[in-house]
Amino acid sequence: MFEKILIANRGEIAVRVLRACKEMGIPTVAVFSEVDRRALHTRYADEAYCIGPPPARESYLVIDKIIGVAKASGAQAIHPGYGFLAENPLFADRCEREKIKLIGPSAYAMRTMGSKTLARKTVRAAGVPVVPGTVDPIASEEEVFRVAKEIGFPVMLKATAGGGGKGLRLVREEAELRSSLRMAKSEAKSAFSDDSVYIEKYIENPRHVEIQILGDQHGNYVHLCERECSIQRRHQKVIEESPSVIITPEIRAAMGKVAIEAARAVKYEGAGTCEFLVDRKRNFYFLEMNTRLQVEHPVTEMVTGVDIVKEQIRVAAGEPLGIRQEDVKQTGHAIECRVYAEDPEKNFIPCPGTVTSLRIPGGPGVRDDSGMYTGFEIPIYYDPIISKLVAWGRDRTEAIARMKRALAEYVVTGVKTTIPFHIRVMNNRHFIAGDFDTNFIDKVFFKEEETRELRNEEVALVTAAIQVYAEERNRAVAQRPGEAAGPVSMWKYSTRPGIRKIG
Amino acid sequence: MNYVATIGEREVKVTVEEIGGSNYKVTLDGRDHVVDAHRVANRLWSVLYGVASFEVDVTPVPGDEFEVLINGDCHKFSLMNEQRRAMIRAGGKGAAGKAMVTSPMPGKVVKLLVKEGEEVQAGDGVIVVEAMKMENELKSALAGKVKEIFVKEGEVVESGAKLLLVE
Repeated sequence: MFEKILIANRGEIAVRVLRACKEMGIPTVAVFSEVDRRALHTRYADEAYCIGPPPARESYLVIDKIIGVAKASGAQAIHPGYGFLAENPLFADRCEREKIKLIGPSAYAMRTMGSKTLARKTVRAAGVPVVPGTVDPIASEEEVFRVAKEIGFPVMLKATAGGGGKGLRLVREEAELRSSLRMAKSEAKSAFSDDSVYIEKYIENPRHVEIQILGDQHGNYVHLCERECSIQRRHQKVIEESPSVIITPEIRAAMGKVAIEAARAVKYEGAGTCEFLVDRKRNFYFLEMNTRLQVEHPVTEMVTGVDIVKEQIRVAAGEPLGIRQEDVKQTGHAIECRVYAEDPEKNFIPCPGTVTSLRIPGGPGVRDDSGMYTGFEIPIYYDPIISKLVAWGRDRTEAIARMKRALAEYVVTGVKTTIPFHIRVMNNRHFIAGDFDTNFIDKVFFKEEETRELRNEEVALVTAAIQVYAEERNRAVAQRPGEAAGPVSMWKYSTRPGIRKIG
Repeated sequence: MNYVATIGEREVKVTVEEIGGSNYKVTLDGRDHVVDAHRVANRLWSVLYGVASFEVDVTPVPGDEFEVLINGDCHKFSLMNEQRRAMIRAGGKGAAGKAMVTSPMPGKVVKLLVKEGEEVQAGDGVIVVEAMKMENELKSALAGKVKEIFVKEGEVVESGAKLLLVE
């Protein structure tokens, strides 16, 4: 086993990996940018190294710096988390040259699956069903027009190096094609430093279902069943669950088998995910393979009992998989809500700032993977995800009920979060019925929300009036001679009689 | 103290009177309630409305506006005391014809889509601000001429920062 692991990431996912290392008794090394000195991952790790200015391009994405820290600290392995360098084959190459084990698949597997077009070619050859479209990046504008007409509108333009909903454009008609191509390329360029895009037929109203796989260095593979990820906003997953209500044991077995074939085709090692689109008739098409740990891995952990991060570390150290396919069982139901520092009342604009108070939900069946604490300043430089709340129940009904009450317990003040949005989704009748597809949030949910009646308006008005009253009174007190004006301490808000008199 | 809340077109009168401890006598549209309100964190209140228990997150927004969150429901309204309202009414501000584009969040100016003096239509994108890896195109609220630009590309701006003025 490794004697020391470097975690080349930040925020909640760095904390998640640190937790696995600690439980395994492996010393840890964190890296942090100048704004992350006070971040939780910096504080949790056994050692921490500053790797430069806040922009990721000057810190978390600089391969030389990460390798430098690995050498200086004597780390034998690097866990990349997700995002940043996690799917960068140049980083994998470099680790190999430096004889540092990257916890993840080979550079070859990353390269093949990371190029979405090459991935399509490879898995199609292994017998995996794929969505119609180009297999190579688009060479010219003329080609886009030709292929789009061939496969028929609507089509999807996708960044070859893409992920996370960036560099993605849906095009419904020919007139939009030119400008959409330009935007997809420019987004791809700024997000991935690679502006190549490819084109695919757009499957109307699909569900997004993915299969978690694990592979070791000895040719063993298992799949850990599916995750349903159809609750998306602007093509980005926001709520995931396992099992999926539409997947039967037969389809699960078929998808699992195909996912393992895709993995085997690139001699995949570690944890990976095959994403599929599932149409109304439950045909499934390979979308892409993510060659890393997924944001939503906890739902799988909750229903299978497998600690995916620990498995990643074990197989990276050369051990065989600790689980056989026949041992894999989904027990109960798990749901994850991604909590973002975004304002759901203002079209989900990012809302960085300082967390002024925080109450993490607890109780049976609840898990919170977060990287924040009271007083933490959420930086403007990185992804706005601040926590993942996961609820487990014996069945979907109990999981939803638990998630609802856990969300109600969750308090974050100082920054706006998507918690209120999640509460409303959990109360939505379509969501409860399991009746949704990847367009549900953008097309159905928000429309229904517009006409929804708010509850407890009286309480809202009264509390706001009391707050204004309290603040006016505090100002009046502060302006009295003999009392220093300035920031009002929390003690001042307390109104216990006898402690202070109201003037 | 007397307050007026405006919700959409509707106006509601709220009177707050401190009656000892953390209790308030509150009159809402002529009906009296006794409310036990504790400030448990900066903008977070534990409220007993009668015996019904609520956690209420009150966020003031510039312009006497409020966003009040109760178990996933966000109530938006303006609220101010009667004197202040009278003063504002007497001031009779009419800012029609001018629209300041401000940054809705802290972030970085990625791109200016217009130049000073350029004509824009209402709804035209005028500037792109990036925060947390997402690019947000901000639009002009009205048609007119770009009177002044206050920022440069690459500049880091605070939430509420003036970006440009359309007249």
